Amino acid sequence: MELIEVTRDERREVREEPRVSSLTSHLSPLLRAQNVHRLLGSGDVSNHVLKGVDISIDRGEYVSIVGQSGSGKSTLLYLLGGLDRPSRKDATGTEFAPSSRVFIDGEDTTQLSDTDLAILRNEKVGFVFQFHYLLKEFTAQENVCLPMFKLGRLSRSDAMERGSMLLKQLGLGDKLKRRANRLSGGEQQRVAIARALANEPAVLLADEPTGNLDKKNSDRVADILTELAAGGQTIVIVTHDLSLAARAARQIRMEDGLIVHDSGRICETPSLR
Amino acid sequence: MRWFISIRYLLTHLRQSLVCVAGVTISVMMFITMDSMMQGFTDKFIIETVESSGHITIYDEPRETQTKILERAYADPDALLAIEGVKPREQVKKIKNPTGLMATLRCLPHVVSVAPVVTGDAVITYGTKTFAVQILGCDPDKQTVVTTIGKNVTDGAFERLKKTADGIVIGRGIASTIGAHIDDSISLSSPTGGRTIARVVGIFDTGVTPIDYSRAYMMVNSSQTLLDKKNVINQVVIRLDDYTIAREVAAQIEGICGYKCYSWQEANENFLKIFKVQTVITYFITGALLLVAAFGVLNILIMAVLERVNDIAILKSFGLSRNDITQVYVMQGLVIGLIGSLVGLGIGKLAVEGLRRLPIKVEGLVKAEGLLMSEHWTQYVKAFVAAIAVVLLAAVYPARRAAKYDPVEVIRGAH
Repeated sequence: MELIEVTRDERREVREEPRVSSLTSHLSPLLRAQNVHRLLGSGDVSNHVLKGVDISIDRGEYVSIVGQSGSGKSTLLYLLGGLDRPSRKDATGTEFAPSSRVFIDGEDTTQLSDTDLAILRNEKVGFVFQFHYLLKEFTAQENVCLPMFKLGRLSRSDAMERGSMLLKQLGLGDKLKRRANRLSGGEQQRVAIARALANEPAVLLADEPTGNLDKKNSDRVADILTELAAGGQTIVIVTHDLSLAARAARQIRMEDGLIVHDSGRICETPSLR
Repeated sequence: MRWFISIRYLLTHLRQSLVCVAGVTISVMMFITMDSMMQGFTDKFIIETVESSGHITIYDEPRETQTKILERAYADPDALLAIEGVKPREQVKKIKNPTGLMATLRCLPHVVSVAPVVTGDAVITYGTKTFAVQILGCDPDKQTVVTTIGKNVTDGAFERLKKTADGIVIGRGIASTIGAHIDDSISLSSPTGGRTIARVVGIFDTGVTPIDYSRAYMMVNSSQTLLDKKNVINQVVIRLDDYTIAREVAAQIEGICGYKCYSWQEANENFLKIFKVQTVITYFITGALLLVAAFGVLNILIMAVLERVNDIAILKSFGLSRNDITQVYVMQGLVIGLIGSLVGLGIGKLAVEGLRRLPIKVEGLVKAEGLLMSEHWTQYVKAFVAAIAVVLLAAVYPARRAAKYDPVEVIRGAH
């Protein structure tokens, strides 16, 4: 807990400069989805996964999204993180009105080029996935450092230093130089969380972070997320694990491509719209 | 960071990477050795031919054949013109006023020296052997300045022509075919009926087979008697300060004197064409080798892409763009190409030096002791640039394919 507090203080120092310069983005929600639609596939086989989702997530919120498989919760998460872009038109080619957009820290992802969107992800978003996805040929420390190398804000040695600090905070101080494929599942997931935190992202997005872990490791990951949230980190998780979801201050339930319950807002049920 | 990732990926499959590097190395090395071998023979041929025959030769015929007199009278191209029983006019072909012409030529820029020659065909008879040769009647003092024939004489001496009545200097090939040695007397006869007995005062060896098997040098006056060309000079040989500009200077001289004027390039056009074909074949073979190496690179990179689809998704998720991913893979190709071609350049250089020292007797169009290797820094640059370009080209397809993966699709697929 204490160690993570230290990171939060550092974050404030680093972030102060840009925050002052863009007052409007500071006031707007961190993540905002406006009438978001997403069709996967094309033509006859196209699948309307998201059917007009509106959601705003403010700084410092800890949000969990639950729902059955195929309800579109992971898709929404990828869109909120700029890993994917919303569909502009439906299967018949009609544009959605109002247009389908996602804003990350005030930036409209639909207006960004592929490269700019990648830079935005690098700076502001940290992803954690169910299947850890570490680069197996690199050590734990190198895996954590890669996003920092890409950002280039820290020197190589400073980045390595920060990488080892993050891993120590997550209890992996003795596994820094171990190759990723020689770590256990729980360890790999903690390395993945450290990597997601490497560039002090504005938001941490986790897709089933405990989905592939045993009870002990799941609890550990859940504790880490709770600590981070307590330190002020904005977190959005998608999960089937109801105990994990219950830890979040704001809980969202999705069904069939729409939000059906949002504990943070007065909920509009789809039938009333 | 991209280099960091690329090199780590290459090191993971070190053995395959080394095989790829070896492919590039071998093709670069082969290019350098084959090209310098071919170039060595070409250079030897050109230099020996050029230096022993002169840079430009003026012949005793006008460049354009005269239009027939009837055609001049009836200009209509459709007119049917026929004369029966036409014979070529008997005229002694020669260069008019050669002394004046040579004096003029000496004043021209780039011309270093000129020498008069009378040429004709003759048959050598020695014992029971006969051999057709080309007689070149020359002034030994001038001939040795205009060409390097004096230095090519291995037995006897070119200067002995001056001191010996009816001396003759023959090529090594002629001497060995008829079995004549130095100071042997051989008999010569010309198609016009001239006969003489000549004494072999020198045997030359240029190393260029067509020359060594055809030429015989004599004094101008004895040749004129033998060939029945009294007071005739039918060639003027010119030496320039730079043989590469022979074509241009030849055209200029032709404009001045009006006689057919051949540069060495024109005279040896057939051989030069063969050398060009030979160069193309060399490039073709080494190009094919390089292509095989490129397929190796393509193969290892496609494999590297397919087995790292998850890596690509994760790299994209934390901020690498399409361009970054493309570069990661192109860099892997570049590293293979760089290491492979640099090692290839080194081994190529060693191979050139090694082959140069091999004691192999070569006899063909040119004769030499050992392989003739001619290297030039441009060969190394060519080999390097070609290898890098081809390997990069091979890396582009897998790199673009890698960049195209949609991280969301990859992550969903794993779910």
